[in-house]
Amino acid sequence: MDLLDQFSNINFYLFGTFPKGEVGGLLLNIIMAFLAICFSCVFGIMLGYSRLSCRLYIKLPCIAYIELVRSTPLIMIIFWFYFFLPYLFGGNVTVFWSAVVSLCAYAAAYQAEIVRAGIMAVPKGQLEAALSTGMSRYNAMRYVILPQAFKIMLPSFVSFFVSLFKDTSVTYIIGVMELTQTGIIVSQRQPDKIYAAYLSMAIGFWVVCFTMSHLARRLEKRIGVFDLESIRPDACRDEFMLVPKTKKTGEGVDETPSCCSSDSK
Amino acid sequence: MITGVKITLILLVSTTISSLLLGTVIAIMRVSRIKVLRAFGTLYVEIFRNIPGLFWLLFFYFVFPDLLPPGLAIKLNTYTYYPVVAGIVGLTVDNASYVSDILRSGRLAIPHGQREAAISTGLGRVQQYIHVLLPQMFRAALPPLGTRMVHNFKNTSLCMAITAPEITWATQQIESLTFRGIEATAVATLFYILLAGVMVSIIITLEKVLKIDISSISHSETAS
Repeated sequence: MDLLDQFSNINFYLFGTFPKGEVGGLLLNIIMAFLAICFSCVFGIMLGYSRLSCRLYIKLPCIAYIELVRSTPLIMIIFWFYFFLPYLFGGNVTVFWSAVVSLCAYAAAYQAEIVRAGIMAVPKGQLEAALSTGMSRYNAMRYVILPQAFKIMLPSFVSFFVSLFKDTSVTYIIGVMELTQTGIIVSQRQPDKIYAAYLSMAIGFWVVCFTMSHLARRLEKRIGVFDLESIRPDACRDEFMLVPKTKKTGEGVDETPSCCSSDSK
Repeated sequence: MITGVKITLILLVSTTISSLLLGTVIAIMRVSRIKVLRAFGTLYVEIFRNIPGLFWLLFFYFVFPDLLPPGLAIKLNTYTYYPVVAGIVGLTVDNASYVSDILRSGRLAIPHGQREAAISTGLGRVQQYIHVLLPQMFRAALPPLGTRMVHNFKNTSLCMAITAPEITWATQQIESLTFRGIEATAVATLFYILLAGVMVSIIITLEKVLKIDISSISHSETAS
């Protein structure tokens, strides 16, 4: 009975005050992560693709943005948006949205890197072959390169999603009522339930991340990541994405002139 | 702010070293032939990778002293630098799981011949690791390891949650004293970008110094 009593506010951890009040707890974490993933996927693909562009005025801002975001901790980005969004939208931005926007900005930079690595891992011949069959550049990307790149990107995408989900816990700093915040509040109001609070936090995160990574592994097998073995060294390296710059930019330099020239053909 | 930088550097250096050590031990456990050790290593990685680092920081700061005998707990809680110590421990256990995963893949990239050669020259198991396998593991795993270390550096900012007086915490203090949030955040961001740049350049030079033809190793491995 005592043990059950310890976990008496389990609903609070899972949904916050949802049916009566605002959403909170683990559900809020999932919602935030989901929104951030959806938006940042779009931005990430755009950023990553335009980073490979051979036009300097497109490429340089993208590189600047990606490098800037990647060398700043998430907390800093969250603070930035926390201070800035009210200036932009006139003071009535909820904490939740500023958290989602900052997570999105953070994730987009990392996904851009994954997308870039994925596109670059597709052999050059593929693009040349597609262009030589008379496809336009857009069609070549859409039907030939991106489907292949997507398969290569999938593992690193998913491992990034898992880490993004974990990073939603950081948003408690600006007062979002998610699982970490809930746990801290409960453990401070009712110090006798401190173990239960921390245990529920840990289990909550663990269950979601664990299922995500295992589903991902199964998905990978089913989608049949074709000859990932040959790409493994690159894929491994980009798994956590802060790619050593010299090597990658070196490759980028090799890459861009060729894609320019094939474009002009 | 300057003391903040100092504390951040302390956190960075100590967590890097300790997580490398712990990560190596776990990685060796995960590839060992003894089932219990392997299971323990896998369990460690699964647990610590799937729970956010922030949780571990909070755990070591708020909960861990409670688990100890009361006398020790009071001593810990009154110790001025306990937030820093808790930060180091929390970041280490979190980071070590990633390090061990990276090192394990580094270990798997080493061809079998290396180990066989080491055995045939009569090296013991410990000597094998020290002289033959570990150097190659680190070399093969250096790029992702460097990435992880930069990530770890960024994670030191999480220690503000447990009031370790590092850069981010100093920013918050300045903001609450002077209401100049944006300026303080800008300076802190600059510090972070600078330090990350320094770290990346150190890692790149390290890579150049320790350069080895990784591609040939991994290709021969995949071919076999």
